Amino acid sequence: MPEYSLINDKMLSVRIRNEEVFARRGSMIAYTGHVEFAPSSSGSEGMQGTAMRSVTGERMTLMSARGTGEVLYAFYGMHVTMISLRGETFFAESGSLLAYDGRLRSGTVFLGNQGMGGLIRGAATGSGMFTTTLEGSGELAIVSDGDAIALDVTSDRPIFADPQAYVGHRGNLRSDLVTDVGWKTFVGQSSGESYQLKFTGQGTVYIQAAERGGNR
Amino acid sequence: MIFNSQTLPANDNVNSYAFCMDVRGEAFIQKGKMIAYYGALRFESVSAGAYDALVRQSFNSPLYANDFVVATGQGKLILGDRGNNIDSYDLEDGNLTVRSANVLGFEPSLVCQESTVPGYLTLLGTGKFLASSNGPVHFIEPPVRVDEDALLGWADMPSPSYRYDYGYMRGMFGMARSFVGGRSSGEEKQLDFTGQGAVLVQSSEMGLVGRSNLDDVIARTSSLQQNELHQLLSVIQQRLQNR
Repeated sequence: MPEYSLINDKMLSVRIRNEEVFARRGSMIAYTGHVEFAPSSSGSEGMQGTAMRSVTGERMTLMSARGTGEVLYAFYGMHVTMISLRGETFFAESGSLLAYDGRLRSGTVFLGNQGMGGLIRGAATGSGMFTTTLEGSGELAIVSDGDAIALDVTSDRPIFADPQAYVGHRGNLRSDLVTDVGWKTFVGQSSGESYQLKFTGQGTVYIQAAERGGNR
Repeated sequence: MIFNSQTLPANDNVNSYAFCMDVRGEAFIQKGKMIAYYGALRFESVSAGAYDALVRQSFNSPLYANDFVVATGQGKLILGDRGNNIDSYDLEDGNLTVRSANVLGFEPSLVCQESTVPGYLTLLGTGKFLASSNGPVHFIEPPVRVDEDALLGWADMPSPSYRYDYGYMRGMFGMARSFVGGRSSGEEKQLDFTGQGAVLVQSSEMGLVGRSNLDDVIARTSSLQQNELHQLLSVIQQRLQNR
């Protein structure tokens, strides 16, 4: 199976032996061995998933690397974080997924399933209303502006996050978009802070120390 | 490493780009810099008037009142600023002046006032405050001249003055008393610091994008007379034509 290791904070190495790995298009910076690259819009999700994707319009721009060798990935100096899944599902904010392989099944989830909150959430994060999911047991890599911060959520300890800083989450979590009356008092300054994502349940939330769409 | 509300640092950096405040009571934070929190916290605009006594005691800046909120309650609050480095500073009966866009938060035991240098806030007293910077901060002892874009702030000393490159000044003498058409590459004008204290410099000439400079200019127009406004208008028009 593919071996993932971090060369440094911002560079990922994946060794493959006659295997295939999917990564964000444009993130390959070097490779050794015999590896062929091809664009892939579907990842490892099969026909049904592909159909779902074309209907929903959520298109991951992926590049598949197949063969034997080592591939190095990096993306605009963003920090890379490795995540191991053991039969769980990871929800990735579009743009935060860097690499994964066929051990994980990818899919799309309609945020509307989570009620109105999900819909507005898509609007608030500016990422659309569909989120990419990865399910199964294996490794994946995400990118974030600054180190990704993992925050634990338990049934008695929910967490509130800025939608723009949200990178992804795993586990059995429910996300709701909440508006605090206090926060509303400074709507109109377009700070984008009038919405907060509230995560309840059991799982882990990943955030970055930068607001997407910020001035950088 | 997965953090929870217990394992998150209390009033310390989570990493170079994120800081966790242990809020017990009240804290001032810059609007828009909260990235996540645990616990029961509320956020009220400084200008909303809900914390009148607190604002009266520690927040003395009408110009920046809309840029700050009061966080109240108990909880762990994580702040981030566009992926910029964040550091905390402890003041002990001291004073530190920082570019206003970089002031991320401060304890109410400090008093926040507008510096006479536009775009800067001065924090006085004893307590902790947070500032962001583009790259790590470097401390320099005066006498020193600093590029305005790289300047983060200064501590325990009088306000700086401008120092112009002599060649640039000669060029200006030749012009018909106009500050209007002066073209600058940014290297011919520095801020000059003298006296005892420390100057804080960030590791990049790229200033943070803050609204403060423009805000400052706009706020000052309210004190101008009609003919002065016309003068300003013609200056702006000339500027735009010269671009």
